[in-house]
Amino acid sequence: MPIKIDEDNLKSGLLGLVVALVEIIQDVLEREAMRRMESGRLKDEEIDQLGKGLMELDAALEHIKKENNLDTIVRSVRADLDKLVEETIDIMANPERWEREMEKTEVRQ
Amino acid sequence: MGIEDSHVYTVAFNDIGAVVHRCETKPYKTEDKEKAGEWILTHQYVIDLATKEFSTVIPLTFDTIFKGDDETVQQWLREEYRQLKTMLERLEGKAEYGVQVFVENDFFEKAPEENEEIWKLKKEIENKPKGAAYLLQKKLERKLELERKVLADKYAKNLYNEIKKLVDDVKLDTTKKEVPEKWKGKQMILNLACLAHKDKIQNLGNMLGEVDEREGFAVRFTGPWPPYSFVGEIGRSKVRR
Repeated sequence: MPIKIDEDNLKSGLLGLVVALVEIIQDVLEREAMRRMESGRLKDEEIDQLGKGLMELDAALEHIKKENNLDTIVRSVRADLDKLVEETIDIMANPERWEREMEKTEVRQ
Repeated sequence: MGIEDSHVYTVAFNDIGAVVHRCETKPYKTEDKEKAGEWILTHQYVIDLATKEFSTVIPLTFDTIFKGDDETVQQWLREEYRQLKTMLERLEGKAEYGVQVFVENDFFEKAPEENEEIWKLKKEIENKPKGAAYLLQKKLERKLELERKVLADKYAKNLYNEIKKLVDDVKLDTTKKEVPEKWKGKQMILNLACLAHKDKIQNLGNMLGEVDEREGFAVRFTGPWPPYSFVGEIGRSKVRR
């Protein structure tokens, strides 16, 4: 799957890709933070510290996106990645259907 | 009349026949989008004409090609006769209709408020220092998202069951589709292909009309189409023999 990068503006394309990837990492970090918060093993201050750190990351990302006008490109990269992941999972879940799809494009003798 | 002005004719076997044209034994391919669109439209046009002429037609997908001559097609008709005949009988007088149901994006925003767990979370957020509140806020967003999905699912299931009663067959399309421009700001909660008899379609139309009137709902109802979604594997493979 080609990731569409705006060729007229490689910088914003590349930056958009990086921001999209950091956003995905952010998502994972937030999930993990919530898991820890719910585990009950963290003190209240620790939870607050963790939250603050993630909040700062979020603010920084939003700032970079706004500054560089990256909203659209980040969204499109993430949509592309989502689609890729969905297709990959689909191939693993339905190998028979994909085999048929492949056959469809071949010339049968 | 056919693709690239090819001559379209019929190959008959008993009381059934295939509508065909001669072409090379390789799939149609082009980089030119306009040309591809034209091919598809022509394919559609021929199916429409055939439907007018013979009333019930099994629409094969564009690019279904037989390797051989008229005899090969006839042999296929002979081999598949029983299956084709059964399908023709099943499709008689029927057509495919597309049904898509949309709801306003904020339709489900308010509904989950009544949920006690969510109400408690909201209270908690107000009383926490901002770092902890941020994490709880994230948790709340995720919960709300989930609730909305559950709710949208419930609505979709109910509609699906209602529609199913009014038509002869239903196929659920689960692939994610772009929401058309006209319905921007809404999400699609149901995407169906329905096979319905022409005499019965008014019932479905009435029911969907009512749904369309509901606050926050919109329905897209299209057709009649050739019953592509209901011909199973027959239309699936490209080049045969």
